[in-house]
Amino acid sequence: MASYYSPTAILTDAQKAPATFSLAVPALSHSPLNNNSGTPITPATTLDLPLWLAEMLAVSRPSGPASAPLATLDMPSALGPKVMNALTADATSVELRQQAQWFYGLGERMLELFEDEEMGAVLLTTFKQRALEIADKAQNTRTAQQGGDSGDFMSGLDETERQLFRAAHDGTHAVKRWFEATSRG
Amino acid sequence: MALPLPPGLTPSEVGFLCEMEHVTVIPRQTLDGLELLGGPTGALKPPLPTPLPLWLALLLKKQRRANITPPPWLSVEALTQILDFETDERTAELFSPLPDLPPATTTAPLEGDPYLAHDSLELSAPFLKDAATARAQADALPYHWLEIGHLLITHAADDFDDLDAVRKLLRDLREVRMSKLRKGFEVLDAGGGVKMNGVGGMEIAEVRGFVGGVVDGLRRLNRSREESRKERETEERENGLGSSSYRDDEDEDML
Repeated sequence: MASYYSPTAILTDAQKAPATFSLAVPALSHSPLNNNSGTPITPATTLDLPLWLAEMLAVSRPSGPASAPLATLDMPSALGPKVMNALTADATSVELRQQAQWFYGLGERMLELFEDEEMGAVLLTTFKQRALEIADKAQNTRTAQQGGDSGDFMSGLDETERQLFRAAHDGTHAVKRWFEATSRG
Repeated sequence: MALPLPPGLTPSEVGFLCEMEHVTVIPRQTLDGLELLGGPTGALKPPLPTPLPLWLALLLKKQRRANITPPPWLSVEALTQILDFETDERTAELFSPLPDLPPATTTAPLEGDPYLAHDSLELSAPFLKDAATARAQADALPYHWLEIGHLLITHAADDFDDLDAVRKLLRDLREVRMSKLRKGFEVLDAGGGVKMNGVGGMEIAEVRGFVGGVVDGLRRLNRSREESRKERETEERENGLGSSSYRDDEDEDML
């Protein structure tokens, strides 16, 4: 389970995944989960629920004669086959931020629930390839700010990749600052 | 959220620590030996060369009371030789070798606590002897080569024969080694390692944040795969011992 206090984990778990209810929940018809519409939640209604809620419903098994889980969980569209194919083709051109702001966190949670070896392998190679791009961009900050098309890549990074970029950039920057500080003194 | 810095040393901290290294100083005035926390320094009697910590040497240099002798590896010939080694295609995977380390002294004595006994200390930079003094090895770059080189060039410029050449060589060396490090990023893996023998302190500090982040991300993505692999291994081990014994124990417990 993700750490309780980490804002990263909280935001990651707030991302949505589609869940299909297997029983009627009339009391929640007017809740924000149902987009505040009045349509009743009958069995086989599919809603986009936040991960923490969807996981609880999917994993729980209420005691009783029908011990099926309350909802079945599907893979969110951000990790669907279309995105996976795009990532295998060219990992650096996919805008991960559009798919999910905490893409790799979402992938990690899904890998915990479903054992999908192929998706795990695709995510690993994607991460490595994009990390190399980030390292490149972090070095040449001057050209990155001027270049127009590199802006697409930078805006398509999800949160973890942005932190990586900042770490790489900070490292180079700190060394430069130390050189300048000692040259003066 | 007390300390926003990530774990590990930052480049400015590495730069500060390098000033503990000893360098050879040629005094111009007499000065008594000082009782420093790290140990006593020798008395300064011109013109005998004496080893002193770098921070003290830089201070005396600024006050024009001493000159600093550049260590043997910080000369044009030595740096050119090392640069040739680095740019040679056959050594594309390696960095230039470290100076020879003193023989390891971690044989634990029979009596006493091996952690606290004095004769079982493993020394590392900046306490290695003669990393940057006049007796340093001329064909190897010590751990703090970049920081010491930069500080000496900036503050002891007149002690060098050919300052511009040395500066240019240091810059070239730094670029070559950084590009080698960056190529090593490609083989980063959740469970793998990169051969980094001979990388200096400042170079590590520069990439520490990034490399740490990448390896951590890979570890997290690989976690579910690791866990399932471990479960499979424990299952195989239990089944391999003979499934009958496992189930027999369970039946006996149920009774």
